Amino acid sequence: MLNDYSAIEGRSPGFIKLLFGLGFLVLLGAGAFVYVEHYGHAVTGMNNQIVWGLPHIFAISLLVMASGALNMGSMSTVFAVNQFEQFGRFSAFLAIALLIGGLTVLMLDLGRPDNMLLPMVYMNFTSMFTWNVFLYTGFMTLCLLYLWTMFEYKQYKKLVGTAAFGWRLVLTTGTGSIFGVIQGREVFGSAITAPTFVAVSLTSGTALGILLLVHTFRQTNREMDERLIFGMRNALMFFLMLVAYLLIVEKFTRLYDPASQAVQMWILTGSWAWLYWIGVWGMGVIIPLALLFNHTLGNRVSGVLLASGCVVIGAFCFVAHTLLAGQSYPFDMFPGFKVESSFQDGVVGSYTPTLPELFLGLGGVGISGLIYLLGIRFFRMLPKKGVVPPGWDLPWSP
Amino acid sequence: MTMDRRSVLGLGGAIAAGVALAPGLHLIAAPAAPATPTDDATEAPPVPRWALLIDTTRCTTDCTACTSACRTENNVQLFGDPERDIHWIRKVELRDMNLRHPPVSLPVLCNHCEHPPCVHVCPTAASFIRKDGVVLVDKHRCIGCRYCMIACPYKARSLVFHKTKPPKDNNPAVPIRAAGVVEKCTFCVHRVDNGEQPACVAACAKADKNAMLFGDINDPKSEISQRLLKEKTQTIRPDLGLKPHVHYKGI
Repeated sequence: MLNDYSAIEGRSPGFIKLLFGLGFLVLLGAGAFVYVEHYGHAVTGMNNQIVWGLPHIFAISLLVMASGALNMGSMSTVFAVNQFEQFGRFSAFLAIALLIGGLTVLMLDLGRPDNMLLPMVYMNFTSMFTWNVFLYTGFMTLCLLYLWTMFEYKQYKKLVGTAAFGWRLVLTTGTGSIFGVIQGREVFGSAITAPTFVAVSLTSGTALGILLLVHTFRQTNREMDERLIFGMRNALMFFLMLVAYLLIVEKFTRLYDPASQAVQMWILTGSWAWLYWIGVWGMGVIIPLALLFNHTLGNRVSGVLLASGCVVIGAFCFVAHTLLAGQSYPFDMFPGFKVESSFQDGVVGSYTPTLPELFLGLGGVGISGLIYLLGIRFFRMLPKKGVVPPGWDLPWSP
Repeated sequence: MTMDRRSVLGLGGAIAAGVALAPGLHLIAAPAAPATPTDDATEAPPVPRWALLIDTTRCTTDCTACTSACRTENNVQLFGDPERDIHWIRKVELRDMNLRHPPVSLPVLCNHCEHPPCVHVCPTAASFIRKDGVVLVDKHRCIGCRYCMIACPYKARSLVFHKTKPPKDNNPAVPIRAAGVVEKCTFCVHRVDNGEQPACVAACAKADKNAMLFGDINDPKSEISQRLLKEKTQTIRPDLGLKPHVHYKGI
């Protein structure tokens, strides 16, 4: 078994370039953090209506993908889909890498990052953020233990892997509930927000896993049986249909209620409608499903990669739309009245992200990328060869 | 000393477990000192519950006495950046979309809710509610996460986006807040605790409008209690169940 896995050599020019590229992103992020810290959040595009902007979109996207990245591990450990067992280490490690990147951005975008440890000292258990402190640290602990059992104590793998799977469901429910529990803003406050976040984590985590696995295997000249990728494709298609189902049910239920028709019509036609239709539905659901259901493209690795790329962008758009549309819609404090004030009451909020925000977000991506790259360089995370178990074949293909 | 990779992973797991669990652990604390007994200790005096009644029929569009007084009293600065300026209290103009009612002008401020969502969501309990119902922000404990701004349905909170310095007419009774924290109306606790009226209410009376009435609704004899009993008033978004304590008449 020891010989089934190996670390990558890490001597190729491609590896060095990637290392420096990701390092550069981290430096950009660090520079942006210092800049915002020095001048205050006034240098961002955020304002008193849109208080969470691009850094939060990057951070929450990374956190959602982190829990989804555990999919391959969970599928084999919990649901006995044995062909993915060889990617268990990769899966758990990627989850940790993404989580650290996302959390770093979240912390560095605080108004007072110097106070970032206070949530550990003063806890308010009615806050979803406080719950998330435990959910994130607990998830990281379980992923590390899961990784450890996969390396050394295989007899506990099932136990720890199952705990990690349960935890990741609660974790993403917690992330979605940050918005789901908010009743004061018209767009938030839905019990279905958290399950939709879970579904989006399933799609985006699987898609990112496919992208990274295929590219890492190609760059390191490792062989992989293509049927493994197509197995992941089938899972991805199922998850995509789950996302579509939840999005439709949410809209249907909301549109049925006369009190929320105005806000729902604004979502479908208002200033962020392009993000909803092109990003959430187009990139996140329709295009990838069309690609994967296509007989020609769906049966090519390149087609699956293209669809996976769309899914990752779609997940980013889903988080962006949840945040931006949710905050932009004006507070409906006086139903039936047209409202005006010097504080932009009654006006759809405007938000144009600035470069420091983009750099801070990219810094988080750089951190996750660096951790992943160094992880596969120094630890035996990846199988030398991606093989299917004897007697297994694809149950279905488009 | 060298460590093999398994040990490194194991150590990493142990450290992460420590980080996860440490916040939940508390050192064993010394037992709390017993309260000092006093001979005449009977019952605590009744705690007031501060509330505000705004009569919109007396409030006019051209008057900004309340907002100006608030800025001066609480050192709330304007930065010439309308989307990022700080507003503890603002004037809002309402126009009935069916044109059945004349336009209404009214001030909107923190509603000092009985069930404040900002306090519920604050991860560090920097936002808190006093026994007398005043909702405050501890600026030293606020980490600037802005979750309270997401949760408040009254847009009553502002982040300090710009670097601040004491204004020329600085009121030393209210320390200025540093960039990166969230701030809001305090019902002028520093005045109320000294038996005075909030600055906006005093300014409204001084401008001869008398549209704002501040008082203790736990005292059935107070003017505000009497008027809330007799007059038709309403709160903003009562459907949310937050029990706001800023009441409006004439909307």
